[in-house]
Amino acid sequence: MTTLRIAAVQASYVLMDRDAAIGQVAALTAAAAARGAQLIVFPEVFVPGTPIWIDTQPIWTGDEDWFALLAENAVVIPSPASERLAAIAAEHQVWLVVGVQEREPHGSTIYNTVLYFSPLGELAGRHRKLVPTGSERTVWGIGDGSTLQVIDTGLARIGGLICWENYMPLARFHLYAQGVQVWLAPTLASGDGWIATMRHIARENRMFVIGVNPVLHEDQVPAGFPGRDRLIPAGYTEDNGPWLEEGNSVVVAPSGTVLAGPVRQREETLIADLGLQDVAVARRHLDPVGHYNRPDIFRLQVNTSPQPAVIESGTIASTSKLNGDSDEYQTSHEHPHS
Amino acid sequence: MPRVTVAAVQAAPEFLDRAATIDKVIALAEEAASRGARLVAFPEAFVPGYPDWVWRTRPWDDTASTLYARLLEQALVAASPACDALAEAARRLGIWLSVGATERDPAGSTLYNALLHFAPDGRLAGRHRKLMPSGGERLVWGAGDGSGLTTIDTGFGRLGGLICWENYMPLARSALYAQGIDIYLAPTWDNSDVWIPTLRHIAREGRTYVIGVTACLRATDLPEDLPGRAALYGGAEDWLSRGNSAIISPAGDIIAGPLAGEEGIVCAEIDAEVARASRQQLDVVGHYSRSDMLRLTVDATARAAVTFRRDDAEPPARPSAGSAAPSREAAPVPGQPASRHAGKR
Repeated sequence: MTTLRIAAVQASYVLMDRDAAIGQVAALTAAAAARGAQLIVFPEVFVPGTPIWIDTQPIWTGDEDWFALLAENAVVIPSPASERLAAIAAEHQVWLVVGVQEREPHGSTIYNTVLYFSPLGELAGRHRKLVPTGSERTVWGIGDGSTLQVIDTGLARIGGLICWENYMPLARFHLYAQGVQVWLAPTLASGDGWIATMRHIARENRMFVIGVNPVLHEDQVPAGFPGRDRLIPAGYTEDNGPWLEEGNSVVVAPSGTVLAGPVRQREETLIADLGLQDVAVARRHLDPVGHYNRPDIFRLQVNTSPQPAVIESGTIASTSKLNGDSDEYQTSHEHPHS
Repeated sequence: MPRVTVAAVQAAPEFLDRAATIDKVIALAEEAASRGARLVAFPEAFVPGYPDWVWRTRPWDDTASTLYARLLEQALVAASPACDALAEAARRLGIWLSVGATERDPAGSTLYNALLHFAPDGRLAGRHRKLMPSGGERLVWGAGDGSGLTTIDTGFGRLGGLICWENYMPLARSALYAQGIDIYLAPTWDNSDVWIPTLRHIAREGRTYVIGVTACLRATDLPEDLPGRAALYGGAEDWLSRGNSAIISPAGDIIAGPLAGEEGIVCAEIDAEVARASRQQLDVVGHYSRSDMLRLTVDATARAAVTFRRDDAEPPARPSAGSAAPSREAAPVPGQPASRHAGKR
């Protein structure tokens, strides 16, 4: 019976400092690997941390310096930063899953992205969040259907969605249909309601679920952070408490039973051993894309094509092309995604 | 839109006795209505009782067959005197009455796990047949079609629901979300610890009120003459279902219940405007969908195994011998063309 040891790393970061956050990834991955973890999962946008200002100030009010910091510290693929993350996975020979704020090499739009690095140091998967939530829409763009893949690690089929994407039933179904066995849900969501969702999703697809959050106390934001007094106004912490990120990491079994966590208001790496045979056995009860589906009633269509802003072509389209003479397409190519 | 009280009735059926169970439904609906409830919901397959034995017998032994025969005899037929009694109670009490029943077609021998919604004007306003029975249930219930995946405008919110583990079908839930469901019924037999988290998740995912309603009975509630009773069932400590009825807000908070280990009526006040306003944060069929890349098509047509085409139109069938109330007999069952009845008689 295959057992997979996983680590859900609930940790803090140095806000908007990419290199320091990657340093945290390196240290915490080493520690988790030393405990035998084969799959190590970090929180949503751990590198370089949450754009806290979108909720602490009115939208687009005095946020120029903060956004400049974000753009500067976002992760470009490929770049020395992404290669450093890949090297961490290779050094410890683990699957490393990290949430980053990502942008195109020459792009100004930031994406909320999860990167999957293999033990060989390859970038095996990249998922850009499909729909940001509320105020997040003012800092992040949206991904497309080309990044909704389940990855076969050889030990288990892994995949997942970011934060409230986990409330998108159709996106979940698409991943379920790819045979996901271990579901990764990097998130910022706090509270018991989120734990209910993690347990529900585990039971809905009879799989393991790993929810992983950052944790950040207001005292951990450096004193010299630009506009710090406005970033964390006194009234904000009075209403919301001193934890900018409270943490909520949890590991759930295919039955919906909590295996580890939820852990809050402290840094902690949750370790769990996942018996993958439990997934197949549990699905004799319920398999939402198999015997518990009704494909005669429900038909889900998914567009998995990349949707680049521009499709370049060697010639200008003519009427002959519209009529189906496609030779002119021979010189066409799409912009690569990065 | 008015704020109203809704009620989930956690009770024991009069097991495999349709008439007595319907009397109990009506009496409990009266009690709930007297407490101000405008919507009263009953558990899965409450009339005439959930076929719990499917989890205790070997599938084809004599006891299982005998119990199935009794369930078939005591099943509810839509548009029948028994069904009319429920409709009349809804009308007399001025309530929406939602009842889980094992149901069959007038001339049919296959049973369905159905959720029936009766309107305050005495109409059968909706009928949903469970799309996929679970495990042992597949030996007693057929599978419904997509025609029951509807929501009904009650005047205080859009009402609909799914039955038991259908609630783990993300596409079926999406079909209800797309119809603006505000009051989501989840009648169930599931007693597990994870059921309440599932109700909370659905409330948050759909930004809808969720009413979970479960039966509550133990072996001593079963009739003495039930075939196989001594072999299959014990005493007062042998719970068939302890119940876990609960009402959840669109934020995912438990606002009433869960009630377990006793019969009772779980009530809460709801406001559909609150549900709708909360979809500013999340609307999985609107601003939080991606219809450019994820698109669901639902076949919501009613499907009969056999469709008759005849030269002469026949008058609407009399669905059940001895039925009184001719005006309602002729009314089609929601989601089912009248011609289908006509063909079967």
